[in-house]
Amino acid sequence: MWLWFSKLGSPRWFYELSDKWLPWLYGAMIVLGLMGLSAALLLVPADYQQGHTIRIMYIHVPVASISLACFPLMAVAGTITLVWKMKLADMVAKCVAPIGAWFTGLALATGAIWGEPIWGTWWAWDARLTSMLIQFFLFVGVIALRSAIESPDAAAKACAVLAIVGAINVPIIKYSVEWWNTLHQPASRISTDAIAPNPPEIWVPLLIMIGAVYIFFVITLLLRTRNEILVRERRSQWVKDLVANA
Amino acid sequence: MPTVQFSSLAEFLQMGNYTFHVWTVYLLFAVFISYNLLLPRLQRQQFIREQKRRASRDAELAARSQQQAGNPQELD
Repeated sequence: MWLWFSKLGSPRWFYELSDKWLPWLYGAMIVLGLMGLSAALLLVPADYQQGHTIRIMYIHVPVASISLACFPLMAVAGTITLVWKMKLADMVAKCVAPIGAWFTGLALATGAIWGEPIWGTWWAWDARLTSMLIQFFLFVGVIALRSAIESPDAAAKACAVLAIVGAINVPIIKYSVEWWNTLHQPASRISTDAIAPNPPEIWVPLLIMIGAVYIFFVITLLLRTRNEILVRERRSQWVKDLVANA
Repeated sequence: MPTVQFSSLAEFLQMGNYTFHVWTVYLLFAVFISYNLLLPRLQRQQFIREQKRRASRDAELAARSQQQAGNPQELD
């Protein structure tokens, strides 16, 4: 197990392994994405209250829920950086921050566009929306903190601490719709019981879209992390060979 | 079995009363996906270009210094 752990920490090993993963991930993303998008745009029946804006859900919900995975991932990577000083963990922590900012920003934007016709307002200072906005600023803060500190080791430590402290916001976002009376609706539970089953033509495309966007998240994180590996290892022989053969 | 909800392309493009809302969200999503897939690829290409340039410059410097070491009288 420890051998596996230290191997996973080796940037070169990770780079070569992710080379083998990427084609499969791309394939799965394209298949699931095409299935999910065509179902969301063509097959899902318009909602009896909100009409075709129901189709916004198939973008908004996957993006927003995956944005909540970014901060915990950054906090775990930060903990590994602080405790074991694993180089790869800090690279992942660095690369996940801009992706998290993108996901959070898109969740806020698509939510505002959905809210305008359905709630009658682009924005409300309710607990869900506000805690999500705070998460956006936390990601921006982590990015700014890293670029503000010159020593890479000190920057890694500072960002790890901020990621761990900032992760407290994630359960607040998650449960905001239950703890406070928000304009934002609470999470829906998929019910398959006989009395009031949710129609599968609504939630099956949503699950497919969540899968597709999750795979996209993994791909873009791998691409950025691989670049970070190349930059930090540029003086090593294997990167020189890779550049020479590229 | 779910069926296609629109009877014509025009109806599909119109999305009821929500043409702007639905299509703006899908457009933003398309921008988000393509930016986050293309940017790392461009950065990688740029990195490889820079490193190739650096490697060839290093090789040139090494060759020149070797040449000079081989013919010390040429230094004058």
